[in-house]
Amino acid sequence: MPSVTLHGVGRHFGALKAVDSVDLAVEHGEFLTLLGPSGCGKTTTLRMVAGLERNDTGTIVIGGRTVSDAAADLFVPPDRRKLGMVFQSYAIWPHMTVFDNVAYPLAVRRHPKAEIRTRVMAALRLVEMEAYAERPAPALSGGQQQRVAIARALVFEPEVLLLDEPLSNLDARLRAQMGEEFRALQRRLNITTLYVTHDQEEAMALSDRVVVMDKGRALQIGAPEAVYRRPASRTVAAFFGTPNFIEAEVTACRAEGDDYVLAIEGAGAQGDCRAGQAHRPGERVVVMIRAEDVALGRPNEPARAGQLAWTGRVVDGVFRGSRRSLAVEAQGRRLNVECPATRAATIGDTVTLTVDADNAWALRE
Amino acid sequence: MTVAVPLADREAAYPRGLERYGRPAGIALLILGLGFLTLYPMAMLLYGSLHSTPPGMAGTFNLDGYANLATAENLQALVNTVALSLVKSVLSLALAILLAWIVARTDTPARGVLEALITLPFFIPPILTATAWAMLGNAQVGTINLVWRWLTGSDGTLVDVFSYGGIVWHMMQYSTPFMFLFIVDAFRAMDPSLEESSRMSGASRWQTFWRITFGLMLPVTTSAFLLSFIRGMESFESAVFFGTPVGIKVLTTQIFDLITQRAQPDYQSATAMGFASLALMFVLLLVQSRLLRGRSYTTVTGKAYAPSVTRLGAMRWVTFAICVAFFALTVALPVGQLLLSSFFQFFGFYQLDMLTLEHYRNVWENRQFWGAFGNTLLLGFVGATATMVLGGIVAYITTRTTWRGRRLIDILAWLPWMMPGMVLGIGFLWGFAILPHAVPIYGTLWALLLAYIALGTPVAVRVTSGAYAQIAKDIEECSRVHGAGWWQTLGRILVALAWPAFAVGWVLIFFGIMRELSASILLYVPDTEVLSVVMLKMWNGGKPEDVSVIGLVMLAMVLVFRWVQLRFIKRRISTL
Repeated sequence: MPSVTLHGVGRHFGALKAVDSVDLAVEHGEFLTLLGPSGCGKTTTLRMVAGLERNDTGTIVIGGRTVSDAAADLFVPPDRRKLGMVFQSYAIWPHMTVFDNVAYPLAVRRHPKAEIRTRVMAALRLVEMEAYAERPAPALSGGQQQRVAIARALVFEPEVLLLDEPLSNLDARLRAQMGEEFRALQRRLNITTLYVTHDQEEAMALSDRVVVMDKGRALQIGAPEAVYRRPASRTVAAFFGTPNFIEAEVTACRAEGDDYVLAIEGAGAQGDCRAGQAHRPGERVVVMIRAEDVALGRPNEPARAGQLAWTGRVVDGVFRGSRRSLAVEAQGRRLNVECPATRAATIGDTVTLTVDADNAWALRE
Repeated sequence: MTVAVPLADREAAYPRGLERYGRPAGIALLILGLGFLTLYPMAMLLYGSLHSTPPGMAGTFNLDGYANLATAENLQALVNTVALSLVKSVLSLALAILLAWIVARTDTPARGVLEALITLPFFIPPILTATAWAMLGNAQVGTINLVWRWLTGSDGTLVDVFSYGGIVWHMMQYSTPFMFLFIVDAFRAMDPSLEESSRMSGASRWQTFWRITFGLMLPVTTSAFLLSFIRGMESFESAVFFGTPVGIKVLTTQIFDLITQRAQPDYQSATAMGFASLALMFVLLLVQSRLLRGRSYTTVTGKAYAPSVTRLGAMRWVTFAICVAFFALTVALPVGQLLLSSFFQFFGFYQLDMLTLEHYRNVWENRQFWGAFGNTLLLGFVGATATMVLGGIVAYITTRTTWRGRRLIDILAWLPWMMPGMVLGIGFLWGFAILPHAVPIYGTLWALLLAYIALGTPVAVRVTSGAYAQIAKDIEECSRVHGAGWWQTLGRILVALAWPAFAVGWVLIFFGIMRELSASILLYVPDTEVLSVVMLKMWNGGKPEDVSVIGLVMLAMVLVFRWVQLRFIKRRISTL
């Protein structure tokens, strides 16, 4: 049985649909991330699961219990949903010690003192903060506050853990470290986690599945790799990195495994690409090619069969440390290419660009 | 996709009856209570101004009250009121900016102590400094003039506080620290990078001060100025002490005169004048809100900034002297005068053989004093507590919820801003008089208590909503998600975090009640006198020495509470 189920959940502000009929099922122990640009409705969705906002349409079920049903005017207040949550600001109560902060979910539910002590210390041990138990909360660094917030969210052993951009206030190095630590902890405890972020790399590194949201709608739900390599739409594709989009016409189509291989012609090139569904010859498609999947060859290097190939000129190059970003002009269009930083490319050089069929993904226009 | 849900779970999840109907009922009750405190006296003011006989008597309705207003004397009083308040506000503002700058942005020595000293006069009841200055600046026997004659050998007069200048000076003693409190915080809460970037853009220190520092503070300064101007027009003590004896009239003393100093109290005219001043205040507050609309550059972010400090060199002793002089003139001198006159048989005749403890004995044995002392303490404690509870609830509903009716609550709680104490006093006088006899409010302490709560509510709402605003919404939501109900969150998180502000607000309201004279003077009866009323009565009865003793008692109370308050503020700064 899924741990959290959203069915037709929406939130409207007048004519504006902040969240528009979202369907979602989070499996037990799953790490699911809501990903999207700011204002896409991901935080509102999370807050509706938390009960901090009322959904105007649909039902929300947590752990087999309906906590919100707009049609039946049913709404369980947040304190009776048995959840744990980490806020973007951590929301560490400044007038309490670390211990009291973590003990709060148990204290307000009137658990016995001795039990509170053991469970709080256990939770603090999980995040390696047991030495700080008696510290006043304001005397903590950002990373430490983050750990305390996680301990507080876990201490009650909630059915679901909600996290609202918990890493966005940390610096880059700490962000990566805390993210990994948290992922390891989540796997160990096998706790269902609903995570909100606008950072695509964070989402891909942490999640079992990603929900890409835009303008209040869930555009695609799937494993990070699937969403990245096989996006359902141009919007989803454009959300990760700076892919190239090539308009092309289908000349042939055949099934291969679960997929289809299309022969296409467009932008001065001919070759194959993959697609999620069958296309008729003559149909127009947009082919997405990730910048790092474009292979850079010497001028006039011959292309293998099925490969898409262009000859072009390097017009811009940016050194980024581990890699190099190039802009190549070919057939009157600009292609983004990511290559190893060791690959020397001077502006003005003529190069050949080749793309394997497995790295070209067709989308409907 | 359908989801099967056990029926029992659904039922448990529905809001229970109390949650569903309790909130609207509570809100309705709050609106009724606030309406009685604020809207009711206003409505009764209008009613009374049209009613030909005193409160509680049968009469007819006419416009005589308003017709009687159109006299040259009243016009003069109106001009006096506006001019006096304008002059004192301008002078106080200039002085307050100077003092605030010295305390917040220079390296003047002992700035922490100076700040406490400069703000002290704000907490001293005006009636206390009024009596002291009446003795200090009396043209014939005032201590300042006696010292002046002794020093120079002349028989001239250096100061005479019974004059326009005296009224302005007395009002300034209160309004300068009032504006200082606003401005010093604005000076301090400013992000130094705003000024630094001005310097980096090539502006001199002086240009930066005027274009950036002062510009950023303009909303705060304007709002403090307008508030002070409005409060000045409502002021009663300064004019009744220093104006009435020499025939300088203002609106509040005119109203007072119509009701208490005539053989036949003219309630209708007084009420009409009260309603007219209410209308005037309303217009002024409208102007204020128009002027300030959208101009609150929030430079306060909750971050603790270390504002850049100007090094003054040797000049810092001059600025130090300015602050000390302000304290000496507004606190040390008046208090010294009270001490002096409390120990001599007659003030103005300071010879060793006139030393006496008689006045202390008089006051000690004065039952009227003890009654008033008890009443003031009782009203202060109960009134401040009730006002803070009311203000805390109103502020919560208006700033942190989206409940229906919160706009109405906000407006009702704000109404007393535009009611001078004396006008509210008349309104309640009428209001209590027409209540059925089964509700005996007039002639009891309830009358005073209700008036004090009404007058204090806007302050309480301001203080508490300011405190709530500093608590991020997350902090509250986090508590709800982790299992605390609404009441638990209110107690464990909001009140626990905001209690220093509650304490500070409580003391402010307490001071307000202790200082209140203009509403009390209309609502008291012989058994319900408060200290300020007793002081005024004894002063008019020709016992300035006994008044000095009572003044010192009040001062002791002020100092105790101010000390407690300063400790709270310190505590708050260290924990938040």
